[in-house]
Amino acid sequence: MLKQFINSTIVKSTVPFSNLLISRVGTAQGGASPNICLVESSCSRSFHSSAPRSKEKDRKYYVQTSLPRDEGTEGERSIGIDRAHRRKDIFPDENTPDLIFDGLKFKNLPIMNIRVTKNNTILSLSDAKGVVKLLRSCGMEGFKNARKGTNIAAQAAGITIGKKALEIGVSSVRINVRGLGPGRLASIKGLEMTGLNIVSITDSTRCSETPPRPRKQRKI
Amino acid sequence: MQHAKFIARTVLVKDGNVDAAAKVVNKLLSADGIFDTFRRTRFYEKPYQMRRRINYQKCKAVYDEDMSRKIQFILRKNRKDPFPGCY
Repeated sequence: MLKQFINSTIVKSTVPFSNLLISRVGTAQGGASPNICLVESSCSRSFHSSAPRSKEKDRKYYVQTSLPRDEGTEGERSIGIDRAHRRKDIFPDENTPDLIFDGLKFKNLPIMNIRVTKNNTILSLSDAKGVVKLLRSCGMEGFKNARKGTNIAAQAAGITIGKKALEIGVSSVRINVRGLGPGRLASIKGLEMTGLNIVSITDSTRCSETPPRPRKQRKI
Repeated sequence: MQHAKFIARTVLVKDGNVDAAAKVVNKLLSADGIFDTFRRTRFYEKPYQMRRRINYQKCKAVYDEDMSRKIQFILRKNRKDPFPGCY
């Protein structure tokens, strides 16, 4: 009865990438009469006996082929031919705080603080002392959930706050950007589109080599 | 060390070219390794990962130094045969 059972069972092998599989199966009585089963595999995919293995492969393929995330760091890896960063006059010096822009000294100009994260962008206009006058974020623009973390949402927020700033009589601002994310360049572009005069761009991303212990790594 | 705000990490916009100024900021921060540090410190780096990364960086630095020296050797001027092995 056992022999019949083995004969009627199609033996599957877990060896992948093989069209012709030969398995040798012995009976329970010491392998006295071995049966040889020929199994032809018709599918070209690799065969796994457990489902999660194939899922893992799909996931890896998806991660490898997906586009890199936009972090607003355009120009990071580029090799400048014109060497714009070699110009001396684009960097502030000891006289810069007292330079006059639009009737105000540089140190008294209003500040547009842009807080960029992976999932949102928050813009706030403050005066030189840091008192907030206007605030606008991608969520307030009507973008919800994952759409907040896009460059389109950041640009819309930038356009809105730029127009409001012009309405309350602010025409020249210093920009202070913090963080990396899709809204980093897009929000600046939105501000520029409204006709707001952007005097300078400052980065104040908080960055420490030895921060307090961060959260554990994501398991992807 | 405390840096003066709007003096450090600041680029002035010239001729209304905001995009170029933003790119210069990005380029300089990247060259200083601030972006790399920021990205690396978002999640905890386990000690074995730190060891592996630092060993890799050491090897890469040695390789890069040697390779740049070789390239400079090939590109050096004032030599009899400017391109040895080529006719």
